[in-house]
Amino acid sequence: MKFVGEHLLPGQLGHFFAILAFVASMVATVAYYNAVKIKEPHLQDSWKKLARWSFVLQSAAVISAFGCLYYILHNHYFEYKYAWRNTSRDLPMQYLLSSLWSDQEGSFMLWSIWNSILGIVLIRTSKKLEAPVMTVFSLSQLIMASMLLGIYILDYKVGSNPFLLLREAPENMAAPIFREANYMEHIHDGNGLNVTLQNYWMVIHPPILFLGFASMIIPFAFAFAGLWTRDYTGWVKPVQPWALFAVMLLGTGIMMGAAWAYESLNFGGYWAWDPVENASLVPWLTMVAGVHTLLAYKATGHSLKTTVFFFFISYVLILYSSFLTKSGILGDTSVHSFTDMGMTAQLLFSMLVFTVPSIALLIMRRKDIPSVRKEESSYSREFWLFVGSLILLIAAIQVTFTTSIPVWNKLLSLTGLKSLFKMDDIAPPSDVIFHYNKIQIWIAIVVGVLTAIVQFMRYKDTPKGEITKKLALPTIISLVLTGLIAWKGTITYDAYGAGFLTAIYLMLFASIYAVVGNLVYIFTGLKGKLKSAGASVAHIGFGLVLLGVLISSAKKEVISIDRMKMLNDGFFSKESKQNPRENIMLPKNVPVSMGDYHVTYTGDSLAAGDPKTYYVVEYEKKDRQSGNTLEKFTLYPDAFVNRKENAISSNPASRHYLTKDIFTYVSAAPNKEEQAKADTTPYITHLMKQGDSVFFSKGFIVLKGLNTAPKSRNYLSEPGDLAVGADLEVYTQTDDHFKLQPIYFIRDSSYQYSVEDTLAPLGLNVRFSKIIPAENKIELKVKESTDPSDFIVMKALIFPYINVLWIGIIIMVLGTGMSIYQRARRL
Amino acid sequence: MKKTNIILLVVIAIAIGVIVTMVGDFSTYETFATAREKEGKEFHVIGKLDTLQVMHYDPIKDANLFSFYVHDKTGESHKVIFYGAKPTDFEKAESLVLTGKMEGNEFHCNKILMKCPSKYKDDQVAMGNKEQL
Repeated sequence: MKFVGEHLLPGQLGHFFAILAFVASMVATVAYYNAVKIKEPHLQDSWKKLARWSFVLQSAAVISAFGCLYYILHNHYFEYKYAWRNTSRDLPMQYLLSSLWSDQEGSFMLWSIWNSILGIVLIRTSKKLEAPVMTVFSLSQLIMASMLLGIYILDYKVGSNPFLLLREAPENMAAPIFREANYMEHIHDGNGLNVTLQNYWMVIHPPILFLGFASMIIPFAFAFAGLWTRDYTGWVKPVQPWALFAVMLLGTGIMMGAAWAYESLNFGGYWAWDPVENASLVPWLTMVAGVHTLLAYKATGHSLKTTVFFFFISYVLILYSSFLTKSGILGDTSVHSFTDMGMTAQLLFSMLVFTVPSIALLIMRRKDIPSVRKEESSYSREFWLFVGSLILLIAAIQVTFTTSIPVWNKLLSLTGLKSLFKMDDIAPPSDVIFHYNKIQIWIAIVVGVLTAIVQFMRYKDTPKGEITKKLALPTIISLVLTGLIAWKGTITYDAYGAGFLTAIYLMLFASIYAVVGNLVYIFTGLKGKLKSAGASVAHIGFGLVLLGVLISSAKKEVISIDRMKMLNDGFFSKESKQNPRENIMLPKNVPVSMGDYHVTYTGDSLAAGDPKTYYVVEYEKKDRQSGNTLEKFTLYPDAFVNRKENAISSNPASRHYLTKDIFTYVSAAPNKEEQAKADTTPYITHLMKQGDSVFFSKGFIVLKGLNTAPKSRNYLSEPGDLAVGADLEVYTQTDDHFKLQPIYFIRDSSYQYSVEDTLAPLGLNVRFSKIIPAENKIELKVKESTDPSDFIVMKALIFPYINVLWIGIIIMVLGTGMSIYQRARRL
Repeated sequence: MKKTNIILLVVIAIAIGVIVTMVGDFSTYETFATAREKEGKEFHVIGKLDTLQVMHYDPIKDANLFSFYVHDKTGESHKVIFYGAKPTDFEKAESLVLTGKMEGNEFHCNKILMKCPSKYKDDQVAMGNKEQL
């Protein structure tokens, strides 16, 4: 059958490019592999040449395929499933990009593009290491490209084709609509993008995060190249800036995600230990550990094996994270993961392809990897760098262990152990956040203190007494500062008992110590030479991150506590803990006291061309004694309201201060249409002459006159209409004055219509239902809605000192950037 | 023995210690019946919304009280009380993971994880609607 109205060319081109990328990367892999294996210079060169060209070709193909997909989305070709699923016509331009990478195929493409770009940079810069490094890269591109094939091989679906037509999708095969040649005439609009993804952070966060993912392969590839070619040390120097680059980009990507989570309150804050978040944090931790052991190796020759291990495991964990989030295995523990696309086996395979050879090589050649016979001194920097890295590893193990609960369940049932021991499925801890916090806080304490101290140590050995002398100043300053903050800041987070509060105080000290220690080190250790202070700057940022995390979480406060209801049910009942009553109902125009504020909901509003409903919430802070207004502001939390399903999905509005942020979030709102329908108050009929008036509960209505050319946005005049509008004036008890104009018209000389006019604030509906020419009167029907109950249920939170966290992240990124610059210059 | 080895052993010991304490935190998936046997302890219950019974959320009376009925895996239906606002798209959820405990005949939960229908199914439903046009 020939289908009408389809645009097949961009999809065919796109699919061609996807296949071209697959083939070209296969050629690149084989060619680079041969370039490593074949020792004869002439042949080696020609393999290398072939490999380079095919890698460049696959890069061009990947980028072109991406371009095709963008073209399809941009032109709203809804015959393509990807466009239909993730976009709609009213989607603002900038979010087309978000929808481009909102699905698995798009995110693979993004990842693949970054791999290509990094690969081309490495072809130009990695010199002797090019062939082995690029073998790893090309293999990774081959696997990435296979994810986009969408071809069945022996009944197994390999990859998922983003250029699939809607009518080709397996679930739509049977649908009769696709047996019509002109089915496109029925498809007017797409499914649209998930509203929580319509946020500017979602335009920028995924590209940065995937650049981070992609850059994690570089340290892996260098270390692998070193082991493979038995050049165990040549890769160390060039890898350093790249390892730092990976740390910086992945860290930035993760924290941009945190910023999105914070602003959209999708996770209830910036970090919720959600599996999706954890999965990308863990490789970051191990890569940070690897960067530090690499430093130790460069200075002393210790810890090379450890470094290789960290670089290997970091990329393996990246692949594991991609497996967790994309295979659908997290379904029961996270709402934020992708759903299963039947690619589980393929994802698992891609993980093994990198894990098995790298770990096997590390074990086989462990004896050949150079190491130092002599033991490290306990007063040496390298020793403590090593210890610190192991601490980070423990953090990574703990997070991975709990995040992997669904995987343990799968493994237990696959191996038959589950039925053997009659075990039930394991579920995540019921208080997940505390589960992580109570362990990670101790790790943060140790890491914070190490961050402060270790820079003051020398490599090899530090003379006795030197450390104590150098540390005296920062230690005293930090103790004083900790004391001051603990005393003035009233940190009394005792929800989890005194033990945890002690840990909080220790962490407060550790994070301040990290900041002060490194600050002092810049002046005493480096004599103020900012050029080489990259590490110290990054560590100051890290300390501030810890501090920001600690203060903002320990002092986070929900101010929208419904205290009235608390008293009803008994504030001190056993339920009071699990019922924190964090939502409060705000009737329209009634101020409610909330924390330091009086908060009033004054109504909602819609803007033309904007699908969102905005709720107007006024905050007012008054001086307790004088009653003078100290501060007044209005927040507009908004929501996408789906009237049909009575569902809202809301976005918070926030007021930012230097020291705190106030968030307001609408958790429920009445469905006004539903209310109007359910309103069964009868209309009361009045016969009126010009100048007559009728009373209603809040005032009276006067009929001023009739208008033969009425205008209303609910009435579109047609030729031949006979239309009359009643000019009404409404006066209320409160001396308000409104105008109304209900319309009565006759169309096609026989059908009578009436266009109602309403006065929402008074709940007044007026219909002009009849003209009685004989008596010179008209008939008005008036209805007063009994309960114009307009309200919102909202939640308001205060996050104090969150800026310390954000500033810390910026400083950390800057510091890492400084280090990269320094290391890259020395290459 | 080298100091590094000692440290490694200590780290392994700590890691094992941490994991053991962690496992103690882990919860299990229960049904209403098994949760009732261990009343007062917190569990995860997986179930489906019982659409034959009423859902109740009246923010004017109490903005933090939402009650509904859920079938668990065995088909047993119980009233569930959630102390919070009614989650968005609650009706659409294909299955629910509730965290909380049994109190008498009611399940009091403090967290609801909704599994929404996969986008693929969504496609089908939407396509079905379009045919009727």
